[in-house]
Amino acid sequence: MIVCSNCNHTNMAGAVFCSECGAPLGLADSLTTQNITTGQVREAVSKKPVLHAPAPAVALNNDWVTLHLLDTGQVLPLSERNEFTLGRISEGQPIMPDIDLSPYQAYANGVSRLHAVIKREGNQILLMDLGSSNGTYVNGKRLNPNAEQILKNGDVVALGKLKVQVLLKPTGQIN
Amino acid sequence: MTSERKDHYSLLGVLRDASPEEIKRAYYEAAQRLHPDKNKLAGETEIFLEIQQAYEVLSNPKRRAQYDATLPKEDASSRVIKYAIQYSRANLVHLDEPQLVYALLEVGPRETGERLPAPPLNICLLLDRSTSMQGEKIDVVKAAATQVIRSLKAEDIFSVVAFSDRAEVLIPAAFQPDRSKLQARIQMMQTGGATEILQGLDAAMREVRRSLNSKHISHVILLTDGHTYGDEQACLHLAEEAARDNIGISALGIGSDWNDIFLDALASRTGNNSSYISNPQDIQRLLMEKFNTLTNMFAEDVVMEFKQADDIRINYAFRLQPEGGPVAIENPLRLGPILQDTPLNVLFEFLIQPSASKADLVTLLEGALKVNGTAHPTPIPPIRFRLDREAGDAPQSDPPPSAILAALSRLTLYRMQERAREEAESKNYENATRHLRNLASLLLTQGEKELARTALLEAENMERMQTTSQESSKEIKYGTRALLLSAVGRSG
Repeated sequence: MIVCSNCNHTNMAGAVFCSECGAPLGLADSLTTQNITTGQVREAVSKKPVLHAPAPAVALNNDWVTLHLLDTGQVLPLSERNEFTLGRISEGQPIMPDIDLSPYQAYANGVSRLHAVIKREGNQILLMDLGSSNGTYVNGKRLNPNAEQILKNGDVVALGKLKVQVLLKPTGQIN
Repeated sequence: MTSERKDHYSLLGVLRDASPEEIKRAYYEAAQRLHPDKNKLAGETEIFLEIQQAYEVLSNPKRRAQYDATLPKEDASSRVIKYAIQYSRANLVHLDEPQLVYALLEVGPRETGERLPAPPLNICLLLDRSTSMQGEKIDVVKAAATQVIRSLKAEDIFSVVAFSDRAEVLIPAAFQPDRSKLQARIQMMQTGGATEILQGLDAAMREVRRSLNSKHISHVILLTDGHTYGDEQACLHLAEEAARDNIGISALGIGSDWNDIFLDALASRTGNNSSYISNPQDIQRLLMEKFNTLTNMFAEDVVMEFKQADDIRINYAFRLQPEGGPVAIENPLRLGPILQDTPLNVLFEFLIQPSASKADLVTLLEGALKVNGTAHPTPIPPIRFRLDREAGDAPQSDPPPSAILAALSRLTLYRMQERAREEAESKNYENATRHLRNLASLLLTQGEKELARTALLEAENMERMQTTSQESSKEIKYGTRALLLSAVGRSG
């Protein structure tokens, strides 16, 4: 074993760099930091700084599920009702979904007008596809239409290609 | 093709000292491919008869000995391929705990001064036309495909398959004398639908297979911007079949939504890699780079068959050049291509259990390198080789060779990134953020401010949101990978 002098991580004998912090170990110790020209590399890596959506405010009200839109980072807390249909609103549509996803590129991502329904029953949160054209996926697995699927905290639901992470309250807190 | 080089052994593609089992296996493989009931090309029946004759001689020990006596001595200098191996340590140590050792393998053409003519291509462009490609992306893809068409040579076979949730053959595989007609068909491509790679890959394979032969380099270039769902296993299976037929698959991923881990796995099944295109404007440049690499092939694939003791294994393998990328650990290993001007470099990490280090001479691996070289007129005989290290009681203190140090210092960055991804994948965000922060500070000490900043932001983002950003994680991955490649370019 070699203990890294930088971070105290124990590495296997024969390791040349610490697997935890990357510091040179033992044999490579005498090595000074190398300066390597990186013009080429910069080119390969996009230059724009990455901005992220602000952290979701910790939900204090009684919403039982929060939809986190993975592409845009927006967060939709749902409360008051026990059932929400998800889809997008377009002209001349007889039945409107409860949640209109049009502002989140729903059309381009292949979300149907009435795509799926999310509801709570007792301590369980259920998702059901409403016969959508492009399907509903939970963690990459396609659901059969009109069959209920139990959701866990952190599951990634895809309505067509629109990816939404489901954030649930710990079961004890659902009232 | 009737040179004296084509002895019975090279016909079957086995070594002079091959065991009877190896000869039998090589014969069965060749016979299945070339049997008159199955072969496709003119002349293959003749080759089949020659192979049968070769097997009749070599399968009989007495006749084999007689035949061997007539062969000229095998001369190392007549080999077309040379290889070299460097180790991180001169010897191993007898230890009661597991230990690591690194080996850097270089395989390249023997310098003869003459440059072989570039073999013609049989390529298929597999283009994603799902809804998300709409707008700038599809326009740039069309322009890039048009540029490839303009660069084709008369003897190249070319096809285009567009796919969404179904596949459509835009241009069937054929020699393409009429370029303007092809360009018109590319321009007609419309976006719409979801991304299902299996559909497209299946159709692309069919196109390439229609004119599969040993004179052309066969390759599928996949351009996509989306995730495929549920068909990953079937895709990997197709890639394994492709590798057996010596068809390469490369992937170019556009934007942040595609599944880099899956596409890396797919391409590495055939000894190729995936590239990240953050800005659609770069599509054209990267596609042409890929195309030019294909026209510069010395050998499309180096395959390593190997045997190892139970208490020794390859822990990790990474191709440093050409076209750097992880090598999938399986047997045989598909190490990657050799270019006319760039040898193949692969770095291995071996994990040695205490029981194995008790011996005085530790065999890390025993195997043979098979080089599939379309550019070379005759089959290249496989090279048998063996990696071993002596083991002693005391460690010696020479530093590792500089080529290994340079590569390892950069590979460490890449692997820290991988570890962060793995932890994030299994929702251990605390560990993942720690790895990212470590990576960021290491990048800072190496002067990589931009990439360090991305890693730091991603760590913060992860801590707050308990999720990864698709874009940042790809930037960090392909950024550290690019660093690795620049390190090799410099030392080599």
